Amino acid sequence: MDNLGFLFAANAFVWAGVIFYLFTLKKRNHSLERDLQLLKEMVDKESKQ
Amino acid sequence: MEETPRESYVLLWLTVVVIFAAMAAIFFFVPTEQTEGPVQRIMYFHIPCAWLAFFAFFVVFLSSILFLWKKEREWDIYAHASAEIGVIFCSLVLITGPIWAKPIWGAWWVWDARLTLTLILWLIYVSYLMLRSQTDPGSMRARYAAVLGIVGFLDIPLIHFSVLWWRAFHPQPKVITAQGFGNGLDTSMMGTLLVSLAAFTLLYFLLMGQRVRQEKMRDEIDRLKKEKLYSH
Repeated sequence: MDNLGFLFAANAFVWAGVIFYLFTLKKRNHSLERDLQLLKEMVDKESKQ
Repeated sequence: MEETPRESYVLLWLTVVVIFAAMAAIFFFVPTEQTEGPVQRIMYFHIPCAWLAFFAFFVVFLSSILFLWKKEREWDIYAHASAEIGVIFCSLVLITGPIWAKPIWGAWWVWDARLTLTLILWLIYVSYLMLRSQTDPGSMRARYAAVLGIVGFLDIPLIHFSVLWWRAFHPQPKVITAQGFGNGLDTSMMGTLLVSLAAFTLLYFLLMGQRVRQEKMRDEIDRLKKEKLYSH
């Protein structure tokens, strides 16, 4: 019984899923860091005025 | 569970090294199983994905109990972060299982107790994430989510024992058996499975560190927004 295609499909799905999730996390991180930085700058600016 | 940048860097590299070791063991070291052939190697992805999902849901269960008891936001953050990771890996279990089943059983899916209960588990925690995303932030949302997080976990012992209690298509347990730990597996197969389990466990902690950090950043953003609103 030689079903290598199924083995590679399962392997590909697992790592594609993990890489996609890591990519989503990285994108979300970037967006949150940018928002946080922006808000900190706004609050700082207002507190100085 | 929040790490310093140095700790996350060490964890990242350790995870990458163990994942490569697991891949090498799966594709070059472990012998091919005689009856199922190469497709049996899917087990080395499928079982660790299931382990990670169950472990993640256990963290949801524990954090939800601690949240209801102590009313500390920290526990709600852990539960939310872990539920998301659990759903991702439970989805991978539901994908890799049918890919193994098609050449072995001749069908992608059968309504076997273990398969059905795993699908129910996935639906419960997808509902958990939907509940969190569709309701207003606050203690009520956290409380409802905690109750669902606890109730949902009760499905996991049923999944584990389903193959013993009912007639099942799904293979019997090979790792935790009535005869002891790993009694149903050859030593090299067990070794490969353990390395793969270690790789996925490290991956869980790596992802968890990132998710917890994000939830804390989100809290800080909300705090600053409120501060800015009240300053006017």
